[in-house]
Amino acid sequence: MEDPVFWQTLRLTLGVSLVTTLILLLLGLPLGWVLAHKRFWGKRVLESVVLLPLTLPPTVLGFYLLLLLGQNGPLAQTFGFTWAFRFEGLVVGSVLFSLPFALNGYCEAFRGLNLDLIQTARTLGAGWRRIWLEVILPIAWPGLLSGTVLAFAHTLGEFGVVLMVGGSIPGKTQMVSIYIYDQVQALQFGRAAEASGVLLGVSLVLVYLVRTLEDVWRSRMS
Amino acid sequence: MEIAYVLKRPVELQLRLQVQGFTVLLGESGVGKTSLLKAIAGLIPASGQPFAGLRAEKRPVGYLPQHFALFPHLRAWQNVAFPLAHLPGPARKQKALDYLEQMGIAELAERFPHQLSGGQQQRVALARALAREPQILLLDEPTSALDMATREEVLGGVLERLKSLGLPTLAATHDPWLAQRAHRVAVLTRRGLVQQGCAEEVFARPASLEVAQLVGFRNLWEGVVLRLEGDWVLLETPLGALLATRPSWVQAGQRVWLGLRSEEVFTLEGPQNRVSGRILQLRWQGLRLRGQLAVGEVVLDFLLPRSRQAQLGLVEGQRLEVALEPRFLHLMPAT
Repeated sequence: MEDPVFWQTLRLTLGVSLVTTLILLLLGLPLGWVLAHKRFWGKRVLESVVLLPLTLPPTVLGFYLLLLLGQNGPLAQTFGFTWAFRFEGLVVGSVLFSLPFALNGYCEAFRGLNLDLIQTARTLGAGWRRIWLEVILPIAWPGLLSGTVLAFAHTLGEFGVVLMVGGSIPGKTQMVSIYIYDQVQALQFGRAAEASGVLLGVSLVLVYLVRTLEDVWRSRMS
Repeated sequence: MEIAYVLKRPVELQLRLQVQGFTVLLGESGVGKTSLLKAIAGLIPASGQPFAGLRAEKRPVGYLPQHFALFPHLRAWQNVAFPLAHLPGPARKQKALDYLEQMGIAELAERFPHQLSGGQQQRVALARALAREPQILLLDEPTSALDMATREEVLGGVLERLKSLGLPTLAATHDPWLAQRAHRVAVLTRRGLVQQGCAEEVFARPASLEVAQLVGFRNLWEGVVLRLEGDWVLLETPLGALLATRPSWVQAGQRVWLGLRSEEVFTLEGPQNRVSGRILQLRWQGLRLRGQLAVGEVVLDFLLPRSRQAQLGLVEGQRLEVALEPRFLHLMPAT
């Protein structure tokens, strides 16, 4: 624990996970609603694309992101910025990689919501703002929060994508899971064990939280 | 209030409907009753009057879906206060309590929906719909979530309260029991609106075989008009020659449908239309006795009050003669 790099790494990891989770909330809530309740042309294609990270090897996703965000990538050539090997690149990779986890939770929470409630709320004079704030969120929040916590936990332990797109620069783009790998490579088993212990503890607490929220949610739906 | 609506989806429907007092829209499932209510509430696209072009949240409509859709995270009074968002806090609660009082359930104000029975939930949902101060109330299958045995007790009081408010109410149902309690009945089939009028009219004189089945006629036979005699008509039927009241449209030689309600099989024991047969089956339905009488090839369904059975003491297998009162034999055009 006396390794200052570890604390930098942990801070970075928590930072990436937090920003990723916030973006997932903003992106995932409307997307989850649309996928759960709307029917439109091309819906299955959209679903397949957002669920792709579930089966795609993280290194493959990371590789394409590296091409996209790198120095000679289309973004650099068109808009003149490079996000590879930077905090922003880590966030983009993590958002894409954790999106299916968040979306699954959101879709399930939204599907469990009785649409009669929303229609009736409209006939009672509520606009969409009131419906979201006073009907959808108060009823579905345990399911939504559980999906969010799961996405956060998933980002904490991310390895392949962030290695490819971030490059594991200590103190700059090195995440805890890569730190552990590097310590083992350097035969620093003590440091690897300490860092692993921290991740184990955090993950356990988060998964326990998810299970509790799921139970709360089910009891509300029944 | 006149409702004139045209729907394209999910069912194609075009109708003009009078809603006066408590009006029941009677029809089997799948004919578009729920869709019509939702269209009037602005929840599915349709064109028509009233409320044309208004968004659902702007329509002065009280809408109750089949399972009432109470907000599960809000107490009864908070549910009722939902449409009262324009009022300040204390006035909002007081107004909500007033509406609960009006439905006779002020004492349940602090309960959550899952702590209420089906009938209580329905009253909360009605109070909430009334708090919207609607011009029309739309009820989707109001009896379906209630226990058959207690619905008279549960819904009876509610219907009286609604009638006393004088608010036009349109209730969609397939339940003839509810239709019998309406001021007006409109019958919807796959061919559209086939009959509307006061409840007594529709129940006693259905315009077609289809309507007769919907309003609970169990005895329906085909017949041929033999002769017209003043106000009467003589028919050849599977039960033999029968005399019936003459409708204006009937002509000699015409094929017709003939209907008789089960409860009107024994109404009068006159000299006309006597038929006899053997009792096939007797079964108690609540306090009434339902029986089947085999008359030749035909089975005649009848329903007796228990007082009558106490006098007659009918048993299965015995022979029985009944009189089919000509005034209650109802003729409909053959389809």
